[in-house]
Amino acid sequence: MATTDESTGTWFGADGQVSQLRGLLFKAGCLGATLLALFLVFVFLVYVAIDAIEPGTADPAWWATVATTVAGPAIVLSIYYYRFAPRAGEVAYTALGLPVAATLLAGGVSIVFRHIVSPHEWLALVVASLVAYGALEFHGRARDAGALERVVVGAAVIGLTIVGVPGLVPSLRTLLLSLPVLPMAPLALLGTFVVPIGVGAGWSVRRARESDRAGLIAGGVTVAAAAIGAVAGPVVGVSWTTWLVLTTVVGVPVGLYVERVYRGGKGVSGLALPVALAAGVVVCAVIVETAGFAGPDVWIDWEFLTSAHNRTPREAGIYPALVGSVMMIIVVALAAFPVGVGAAIYLEEYAPTSGLSGSIVELIEINIANLAGVPSVVYGLLGLALFVKVGELRPGIVIVGGLTVSLLILPIIIISAQEAIRAVPDSQRRAAYGIGATRWQTVRTVVLPRAMPGIMTGTILALGRAIGETAPLLMVGVAAVVRISPRSFFGLFSAMPRQLYSWAQLAKPDFYHGVLAAGVLVLLVVLLMMNGTAILLRNKYQRRD
Amino acid sequence: MTRNDTRKADDSDEQRTDGSGPAVSEPTTRPDATSDSLLDDSFDVTSGSLSGDADAVLETRNLDVFYDGVQALQDVTIEIPENGVTALIGPSGCGKSTFLRCINRMNDLIDAARVEGELRFEGKNVYDDDVDPVALRRKIGMVFQSPNPFPKSIRDNVAFGLEVQDKAGDVDETVHRALERAALLDEVEDQLDSSGLDLSGGQQQRLCIARAIAPDPDVLLMDEPASALDPIATSKIEDLIEDLAEEYTVIIVTHNMQQAARISDKTAVFLTGGELVEFDDTDKIFENPEHDRVEDYITGKFG
Repeated sequence: MATTDESTGTWFGADGQVSQLRGLLFKAGCLGATLLALFLVFVFLVYVAIDAIEPGTADPAWWATVATTVAGPAIVLSIYYYRFAPRAGEVAYTALGLPVAATLLAGGVSIVFRHIVSPHEWLALVVASLVAYGALEFHGRARDAGALERVVVGAAVIGLTIVGVPGLVPSLRTLLLSLPVLPMAPLALLGTFVVPIGVGAGWSVRRARESDRAGLIAGGVTVAAAAIGAVAGPVVGVSWTTWLVLTTVVGVPVGLYVERVYRGGKGVSGLALPVALAAGVVVCAVIVETAGFAGPDVWIDWEFLTSAHNRTPREAGIYPALVGSVMMIIVVALAAFPVGVGAAIYLEEYAPTSGLSGSIVELIEINIANLAGVPSVVYGLLGLALFVKVGELRPGIVIVGGLTVSLLILPIIIISAQEAIRAVPDSQRRAAYGIGATRWQTVRTVVLPRAMPGIMTGTILALGRAIGETAPLLMVGVAAVVRISPRSFFGLFSAMPRQLYSWAQLAKPDFYHGVLAAGVLVLLVVLLMMNGTAILLRNKYQRRD
Repeated sequence: MTRNDTRKADDSDEQRTDGSGPAVSEPTTRPDATSDSLLDDSFDVTSGSLSGDADAVLETRNLDVFYDGVQALQDVTIEIPENGVTALIGPSGCGKSTFLRCINRMNDLIDAARVEGELRFEGKNVYDDDVDPVALRRKIGMVFQSPNPFPKSIRDNVAFGLEVQDKAGDVDETVHRALERAALLDEVEDQLDSSGLDLSGGQQQRLCIARAIAPDPDVLLMDEPASALDPIATSKIEDLIEDLAEEYTVIIVTHNMQQAARISDKTAVFLTGGELVEFDDTDKIFENPEHDRVEDYITGKFG
């Protein structure tokens, strides 16, 4: 303090003696790494997008039209939301994303109904399940049965209605399928797909608005919108089935969301953005059509999505590979989810933690973590040995590809499910045990419901990895090019990454530039959808706690 | 409030004698029947005791507990009478929570814990091989230090015990009665379907108490139930404990000596090393303890 006269003005660090150079350099280095990573990915994406869209082939007038009718209003609206109505901005964001995501989902559902479960099979499955449910419910009401009896009766009912005994007793489901008269495919879907969803929508609106009438209207509109497809579908050029799926899978969530925004009355102006965009697209199309401006020569278009590979690049498409990927993911999910989650539950909730057996469990857990890092080509080899050589399945069929990829993501699912289960606070388990719950009751009613969002998030991310895997598919002999979508899970197939790989090897530059880029975009969009779902799930349930 | 609760107590006594639960006042004559009763869901016989003290619902003989070889409880012998509040006090790490967890065998969930000696509940040693800890915990409810409601609706939280114990009957009515006995009903009656996590800390703890008493246990263990709460919530919980003691045997661990003095009928003082130093009527412990160490602890000379 005595030296204040000398050091006046220096104690507050104005000459930089406190913040040191090393720290600043370190910070700058980290910033540089971040920017470099982002830049590299961004450049790649732009490169692919340019290849897929070829913006240079369009008239400048075309771009000008798009900019003024579509981009301009959207930007103006966005600025308005950002400055004056942030709540409306959120609404606009969701109202724009929801229809896009729902349309993609509708595409997936269409593929399922076209190639995997035919409308008639779906009808039989739904009816048989309803009968089984009714029988079980009746049994539960009529008799106060013990646990063993319930299990036996449940297995018998499900066996008789849905599964059947091969070669001996046909199930109710197969009997229904062999009926001489079945309703037309769209009618079957209207009854067993649209009506349940309509009932659900009506029930949700009825509950939210506390009005029976509103609920009836919501349900009625859903079914009516699907039903008029019988007339309207052919007029706009799609089949009734496609119309059905579109109006239900896209219309119901969008309608419910719009209803909720209106009811809440907050940020209603956000709904203007999708409307403005849609109107802009229509206006733009009219102007471009009348003035004759040439648009860009895009590779990724409807044709690309719906046709098979062709030697002419312009006519090549990804459809069979897309269907193959969807079917493969179904196999992967059905195989890897129960096994992975079951293993995780055992390791976290039941496995011993002390003594010799505890050490063995620990060793196993470490090795599962190591398995997650084993190269995918090795899993391909394992799948080849296991399913083709030992299991004697045909190489290159959907089920072999799916099972092989499930092996690959099994460790990832186990680890992420373990983490989700571990994140359930011990106080919750203690509360359940303290009240006299058995271990099984604790796991079922306390641990699993709470861990499920985390488990789902991990599983979806793992499935995202599965859909992009190429090496295991090469190893188990998945075909480079398939022109017809697989008819069943035992049919030959090609998956999107395998198809991309074979396009990359073709000699024509149009293939390894245009078609490949369009395929990459499709794959990336599918991946983005899956990861987006996972993130939504995670955010939704994180807020709860 | 007290009158109200007395009526409730009578109600549940009536209910108990119709065979759906244990008849508290029925004396037992055959010790064997008492032993079997723990294995059987139809409890008819309670409050019997092999020892001389006819009132003791819980008694321990030379109970030792070790965590990986470290002794946490030393040779504890105690007889806890039926009904009323028994407080366990002592400095941190003296083993009072361990003792509490021994009673309903929550220590079984800790791999490292090892229990030796005898702990008799209604005459049956709960550490016998033929005792199912799950059945034991259905007779002995527990409330924990920090409120731990499930992320479910208030109704489902209270009904949880009924559900896991497969108790038939009017669930809604039982839920209402449990909430009323936990002095929470008035505050939550019109929001039974909202999440239990939306309540305040004190309300959450009363919800946990309602959850513990809904399946109608005989004994209620409370591990510092008010330590995470503010003074107002604490006083509500204390009133509640006094009310509950008319119907249940309440055993409460507390760090707060005033709290023990206010609400308990009997007090057990554990001191460092897991030793039960003195167990007597609360008045006697706080006014004229036999041991100097207990007096030192209670007057705040250490601990």
